[in-house]
Amino acid sequence: MTTTRSRWMLPRKVLYALGGVILVAALSLLGWVFYLDGVVQHEFKGRLWSVPARVYAAPTDLYVGATVTSDDLDTELRRLHYRVGDPANGPGIYRRKGSDFEINTRRVRFVDEVRAPVRIRVHANGEGITGIESADGSELPLFRLDPLLIGSVFPVHGEDRIVLTPNDVPEMLVKFLKTIEDRRFDEHHGVDLRSILRAIWADVRAGQMVQGGSTLTQQLVKNYFLTDERTFGRKLKEAIMAMRLEAHYSKEEILIAYLNEIDLGQDGERAIHGFGLGSEYYFGKPIDELEPAEMALLVGLVKGPSWYDPLKHPDRARTRRNLVLKELGEAQVLDAGAVARAQAQPLGLRPAGAGYVPAFLDLVRRHLKRDYAEADLAAAGLSIYTTLDPHAQAAAERAVTNQLKRLDTIAHNRSKGAPLEAAMIIAEPTSGQVLAVVGGRDTRFLGFNRALDARRSIGSLVKPAVYLTALETGRYNAATILQDAPLELKLPDGQVWAPQNYTHEVFGSVPMVRALSESMNLATVRLGLELGLPAVADTLQKLGLERRPALNPSMLLGTVEMTPLEVIQVYTALANGGFQSRLRSVQAVLDEDGKALKSFKLEVTPAASPAAVYEVSRMMTQVTERGTGRAVGARLHVTMPAKTGTSSDLRDSWFAGFTGSHVAVAWVGYDDNRPTGLTGATGALPVWLDAMSELHLKAWQPDTPTEVEDRWIEFSTGLATEPRCSSDAVLVGVPRGTALTARQGCGQPASESVVDRVKSWLEKTVH
Amino acid sequence: MARKNSALIFAVRRTSATAGLLILAACAAPPPYQMPAPKAEPVPAAVPKETPPPPPPPAAIQTVQEAPKSVQKEVAEPPSRAFKLGPAALALVNQARGQIAKGQLPGASATLDRALRIEPQNPLLWIELARLRLTEGDTKQAENCARRALLLGSADVSVRQAAGHLLADVLRALHRDDEAKDLEDQPWMN
Repeated sequence: MTTTRSRWMLPRKVLYALGGVILVAALSLLGWVFYLDGVVQHEFKGRLWSVPARVYAAPTDLYVGATVTSDDLDTELRRLHYRVGDPANGPGIYRRKGSDFEINTRRVRFVDEVRAPVRIRVHANGEGITGIESADGSELPLFRLDPLLIGSVFPVHGEDRIVLTPNDVPEMLVKFLKTIEDRRFDEHHGVDLRSILRAIWADVRAGQMVQGGSTLTQQLVKNYFLTDERTFGRKLKEAIMAMRLEAHYSKEEILIAYLNEIDLGQDGERAIHGFGLGSEYYFGKPIDELEPAEMALLVGLVKGPSWYDPLKHPDRARTRRNLVLKELGEAQVLDAGAVARAQAQPLGLRPAGAGYVPAFLDLVRRHLKRDYAEADLAAAGLSIYTTLDPHAQAAAERAVTNQLKRLDTIAHNRSKGAPLEAAMIIAEPTSGQVLAVVGGRDTRFLGFNRALDARRSIGSLVKPAVYLTALETGRYNAATILQDAPLELKLPDGQVWAPQNYTHEVFGSVPMVRALSESMNLATVRLGLELGLPAVADTLQKLGLERRPALNPSMLLGTVEMTPLEVIQVYTALANGGFQSRLRSVQAVLDEDGKALKSFKLEVTPAASPAAVYEVSRMMTQVTERGTGRAVGARLHVTMPAKTGTSSDLRDSWFAGFTGSHVAVAWVGYDDNRPTGLTGATGALPVWLDAMSELHLKAWQPDTPTEVEDRWIEFSTGLATEPRCSSDAVLVGVPRGTALTARQGCGQPASESVVDRVKSWLEKTVH
Repeated sequence: MARKNSALIFAVRRTSATAGLLILAACAAPPPYQMPAPKAEPVPAAVPKETPPPPPPPAAIQTVQEAPKSVQKEVAEPPSRAFKLGPAALALVNQARGQIAKGQLPGASATLDRALRIEPQNPLLWIELARLRLTEGDTKQAENCARRALLLGSADVSVRQAAGHLLADVLRALHRDDEAKDLEDQPWMN
């Protein structure tokens, strides 16, 4: 009995134990499957595509008279990645015959509307647009081009994508993908045993893992949930999850998720996810415009996006693409002719790095930060419409790059540290829209954004504020004689301050217009002290400086430190006739559904007397005509108020000025403040001038405020005159009816008697 | 110069609550509004008083010259002009008006922004913008935009009147009825 029992007991025990183990294992496997099932369902269903905010430049408006030349239009279309061809073939294609353009535009969302693809004809010559017609020949008053995508704001993990819906995806792409990656996608249940066996066979033959045999579903699961390790456990997990996914979701859902999720490359910090973004990133166009060769390249990238990165390894990418095309041919997805044609094509990648404007985007981020949490911006799939003018931005970047190359050879102290730097901002004064920002010599990578953060002595850029303060009192005008004479000032700390002119000359009695345009220090300090430092500081603040500058006498010569952004805010108020326009880099923010979340409205605030602003601006035109900025007048031949600025020991070189259409400021200097040996006229002015000369500037011709009149005076003496009488006659604005001392023998003879003059004076004053 | 020629001096920047609109006499033929005159000074305040006379240039006798008429004709008279909108800006104004009628105020704002990018100095656009701000209830900006229109349109009588009437409406909305009335009583407003 016992033996029998014991003979039976042991196996039974073993069996029980075995059974228990199996049960536990089965239960835990089941539990694991349940768990994975839960993960799959929860994650997949609750998956919010992390869609970064898209940032767009301002769209270019075309209308008769717009200063968009035929070459500008060509450049603009290429910048938007329109390709040359027959517009009848679809959106994103244009044809140019001399001055005539035929364009088939893409579907595009603007701030206020979604526009379906449309065919138009545009006529442009060397001056600008001369006509726009729709396809049926009717004239269009205006037409805007697509807004250029200039960036994305994405979360820290850097996932970037353009979400596609099933309708967005070309059938051919799907066919290519299935042929190359998963031919039995439509039949299997998540795992394809046949292809696994084939892969194992291939691995055994190669002696290593060479083929995955993964279905699209498995690849999706791997991308979604798993790490990149290649272990059996992970493979099992992947297979289970893939099958659970197939159990819960349709093939279509899984396919579109795959198309949006799959990793297609890396752009610095930013991971390129999905075919929508892959198409934009590599080819600069929407997915429905891809040609077979381009689709084949993207599909080929799935196997190893960094190994086959077409931007870094074009030869590998080409080989991979052509192999994919060959397989497509063998699978009879493409006919032999199509394969050969596609294989012969270049990769067709968009130019690398074009259109990336980190310094401008930095300003956008700061402006948005006032209203949005950074995380909301990144996650919500917003569209951010900015004020950037790609043409102006390109001009500013070229100017900074080219001029620094030249200045590098002439600046002082260039070998004693980091190289010379520059910054530039261009804006539209009336509406306060920022058009371009350059933050340093490397325009593609943003380190220190000098345009926004370099707070430097502005030198004589402060002088217009001093003279404006004087004009606003009503006691001065352009002809008022100032004394440019030495002075010594005892400062509160006991030191004696004895400012000098740049040339160490002393000019004596000079009219205000000359003192300003030749940037005389002694005359300006005397004037500023007469007005009082607080009054000058008030003016700067009224014009838009958001801080109170320190009230040292030397502030009158520009020891006050400002960033280029602060400078342009102040000069915008001058350019804008005394109205402050709050600078804006963002026009509107739309949510995913195209609803405006917030528009950043144009705001103007009266800041200074329009008459006094007109007078000081008119004086500043002499800076470019005969003063320190005359190189500008010599090249651009337009009337333009401007000012040079040079800080002490030539550490900072500034130039700021405006036309009817643009206000701009440029700065050149070293980050560590070493002297550069450059003045405002030799450093910043050429940068400014190079950029502005590429833009289509409207002349500065404000309507003279009714209480001001333009009069001719002598630049050297301030005497009223006429051009035919004096070689140095300049036009100035003075309060209407101002009594000016006249040069005898010119214009109306001085016929009035003293009695008449006193009488008329009494009539004017005694009321 | 007689009192009937007195002109409105229009303080664009108000330094005190009472200084919004000052009616002072001025000598010039009817300028509608002028820079804020320093309150302590009588009107031809712009005559340089505290500055030394310029040094006598050689061989020139000096005299005080009151804006000689010939010069005034050539350069000093504010040219009268008639502002109108170009076809592009006009199309956008019509679009903006349509958007306002449908209550799409942010859209209208964006449309006028676009128009201003085309013709930034056209006072007619600033009048449209002032109207839109008024509709939005942003009376402060409505006032500022109307003043901007008034300045830009100073050479065009009808534009000036349109801007003036709009500004008066805005001032009433801001409960500044006296200023509105003063404005409407100006000769150039009628």
